[in-house]
Amino acid sequence: MKFLDQIRVYIKISGVAPISRRYFIMNAFDGATTVLGVVVGAYVAGIPNELWVIWSGLGATLAMGLSGFAGSYMAEEAEGTKKLNSLEKSMLTELKDSVVGKASRFASMWAAIIGGGAPALTGGVCLIPFFLSIHGSFSFSSAIQISVVLALSIMFLLGAILGRISSRNILFHGVKMLLVGLILTVIFFALKLT
Amino acid sequence: MIRRLVLDVLKPHKPSVVELSEALSHLQGVEGVNIIINEIDQQVENAKIIVGGIGISFEDVKKKLEELGATVHSIDEVAAGKRIVEEVRTPQDRSARM
Repeated sequence: MKFLDQIRVYIKISGVAPISRRYFIMNAFDGATTVLGVVVGAYVAGIPNELWVIWSGLGATLAMGLSGFAGSYMAEEAEGTKKLNSLEKSMLTELKDSVVGKASRFASMWAAIIGGGAPALTGGVCLIPFFLSIHGSFSFSSAIQISVVLALSIMFLLGAILGRISSRNILFHGVKMLLVGLILTVIFFALKLT
Repeated sequence: MIRRLVLDVLKPHKPSVVELSEALSHLQGVEGVNIIINEIDQQVENAKIIVGGIGISFEDVKKKLEELGATVHSIDEVAAGKRIVEEVRTPQDRSARM
């Protein structure tokens, strides 16, 4: 409980909550879109089995997770250091051992976990149907359909979250986000037809 | 045995005075805290912190403030002993102010 309270204090002091929310939405959307691309691409290319999709999907998910983690950490660490240095100048004292310095370091790590975890999570969820397909829960073509539906649902959900954050129409923003996924899917299917 | 401390403190905007007062009020020997913001700058604010209690440890108060990113600029008033002795006005004070 004390640990959670400490985290709450660090989040409040560093003001990392809106930043991590942005990272979550952006990177989760990236994760779902990339795996949707892999899945639809595999279908269009006529990939014969699940393992191809799983390995290429996992590769993309891992790469996005690592890139999201490292990118968010480095960006936030640099921003946090700049802010702390400026505050130290105003205070005429070192703040690295104070709660302000600790919150700044925590914010970088928190942003990195969110930035890396979000694409890994959404990408991983979109790959679940293929793992189940290996175990015979359903056919490969059903796995593709379920995965596409999952990816599009995630996109809708992310849009809905944005609508809720901005206190606007949840349905409208969900559909707006969903359209991006649909455009990607339509492009691939159009390519298959040509 | 310190019963009252009045400090001139410089602090960042966050943690806020609410968190600062709560943290100080949990210190041993502290019975009450009052924080007044005197001046607000772009990144920092100047506060007058009054700590009341029985057996307040100045070192603990200072350490807690530093932990929260604040610095003590000056000790403006200290009251110690069995009872609090209030400041008294003398004719000299009055003439000095005139």
